Amino acid sequence: MDKLNQVLLKPAIQVGADLFAWMQQGGTQGLATALDAPQTLIQRIADADLRGMGGAGFPTARKWEAAAQAAGSEKYVVCNGNEDEPGTFKDRTLLSRTPHQVIEGALIAALAIRACHVIFYLNPHQQGSLREMRRAVAQWQDSPWLEKVAKAVGQPVDLQVVPSSGRYIGGEETAVVASLEGGFPFPRKKPPFPAESGVRGCPTLINNTETLAKVSHIIRHGADWYRALGVGAASGTKLYSLSGDVMAPGLYELPMGTSLHDLIYRYGGGMLEGKAFKAVFTGGPSNTLLTRKDLDVALDFDSVRERQSRLGTGAMIVISEGSSIIRKVAEYIGFFAKGSCGQCPSCKCGTFQLARLLERVDSGRHSPADLAALRHLCQILPGSGRCGLIDGAVTVVQSSLHTFPQEYGIAATAD
Amino acid sequence: MSNTLRISIDGKEKEAQAGDSILQAHLKGDETVTANIGCMGQGVCGACRCLVRKEGERETATRLACETLAEEGMQVSFMDYYQPARVSRYGLEDIRDGWEWMKHLRDVFPEASNCRHCSGCDRACPKGITVQEGIALASRGELQAAAEVFDACIMCNLCTLACPENIRPNHVGLFLRRAHAAQTLRPGDLLRRLDQQRRGELAIDLSAVPTAQGERA
Repeated sequence: MDKLNQVLLKPAIQVGADLFAWMQQGGTQGLATALDAPQTLIQRIADADLRGMGGAGFPTARKWEAAAQAAGSEKYVVCNGNEDEPGTFKDRTLLSRTPHQVIEGALIAALAIRACHVIFYLNPHQQGSLREMRRAVAQWQDSPWLEKVAKAVGQPVDLQVVPSSGRYIGGEETAVVASLEGGFPFPRKKPPFPAESGVRGCPTLINNTETLAKVSHIIRHGADWYRALGVGAASGTKLYSLSGDVMAPGLYELPMGTSLHDLIYRYGGGMLEGKAFKAVFTGGPSNTLLTRKDLDVALDFDSVRERQSRLGTGAMIVISEGSSIIRKVAEYIGFFAKGSCGQCPSCKCGTFQLARLLERVDSGRHSPADLAALRHLCQILPGSGRCGLIDGAVTVVQSSLHTFPQEYGIAATAD
Repeated sequence: MSNTLRISIDGKEKEAQAGDSILQAHLKGDETVTANIGCMGQGVCGACRCLVRKEGERETATRLACETLAEEGMQVSFMDYYQPARVSRYGLEDIRDGWEWMKHLRDVFPEASNCRHCSGCDRACPKGITVQEGIALASRGELQAAAEVFDACIMCNLCTLACPENIRPNHVGLFLRRAHAAQTLRPGDLLRRLDQQRRGELAIDLSAVPTAQGERA
């Protein structure tokens, strides 16, 4: 258990919105270091191999670089705290229990790209996050730190807490921009990427809450320290939201690259009494299912991708033998169908039809033609939406068809 | 050059002739079609709503199978009828009063003023109706213009499925058409038809055998 909760969830730093207590725990040291040499920040983040923790795993430094290079004196840093996908409960923990590490990370990001607006975009359904972040931001506004950052950036820097729409789709990067411009969170076509043209056309750096929370620690302790926290080639730590049929579901911060087996059996207390492991829905849950043969997989972005799945947000929803995969998939597709914004008929109508077919299969009222129709939908839908929602929904259906054909009553397909 | 083309419908490969609609291709074969079929190709019932992806294209569009020509390599998935969570109830007597219809529209469809202008309904409509414009006109109180926008609506419910604000545009459209009809003079051709019916000139012989032209012999 020595590897548990070393950085973000370290018990000593769970100080809430108390800035003084945060400073006593070494808080603001990262920002102080950053203020000494703002021009080196992006390189340090690159050296640490920090990745986007919202699900994509995109190298954070490249995003920062793009926003730093983009023309314009008015730039935004947005902390994406919209977290709304089933099984993910990491950002709300950071925002409500250690808001200062998130704010400090966002200020360092603002320094790196010379942004004058820092926005915390938070899901209003998570009242605790909103409350604590508002309290915490107020303390930074009264502190001399904001003035120091403004001096380094060369213009006044404002901090704002903005409630999102609370809709699932509102977490998509371009939807964040649309929402902050006062509109409905409709995703937009990319390019242009928000780093080039985001809120009101200004370069906008949008990072997940967990990503930003790590920044101050990296700057304070160095890239080498951060890299060494991970297992093997993987770097740093990761928050894993473990849920489902395990003895001790919860949020675990572990070295990036910890095996799925260790997460479930060593830290999560193993499967519920009398239950046998069957599968794991990862991330959104819009990824390929992990099964018994994947228990040894290292839970980092690259290793999970080698198994044709994705680490996603680090959510691991564990299913035991005796639970219907189709039932779970139907539930998730129902969630996506509801969350689809409606802009692209293929997404709204496609998720609806997937959900209808899955409901029929799950309740045993289906015909062989329904199964053929389900597979056919999985062929015609991918790539048809503006954002990735429909692709994720199809991935999880396709994966269940491929991995658990017997539940659908169909013959297995070759790997 | 061969006139035969291949399309796939709900996972089944079908052969069609150039000029066939998707529905015509769908009906070729032995299996009995029991769903997504209604007016048999007249484009008035909305039952054959489907998702269509043309070969080599990224976009998957909503169409009526009876009104879309089959193309080589086309992929088609039929869709169920979407049942909205809420059903609206109103009486014709409520909407007959030209001074009060807007109040009733607001009462029955309070969401109609929440349009976000995402154009999802316009894209979803297989009839090419400018749904969003119709809803905007209705919200502005322009009953006649709004009702006319929905003239070709066949109630396939795809715009209702697409709408993120749960406006149920086609049901608003039906309300508008009803309100407009209730508040204006009846059309002359309809009156003549009703008269013919009353005189017994439009009797239907149910035992007659249909001919190839669809006439009853």
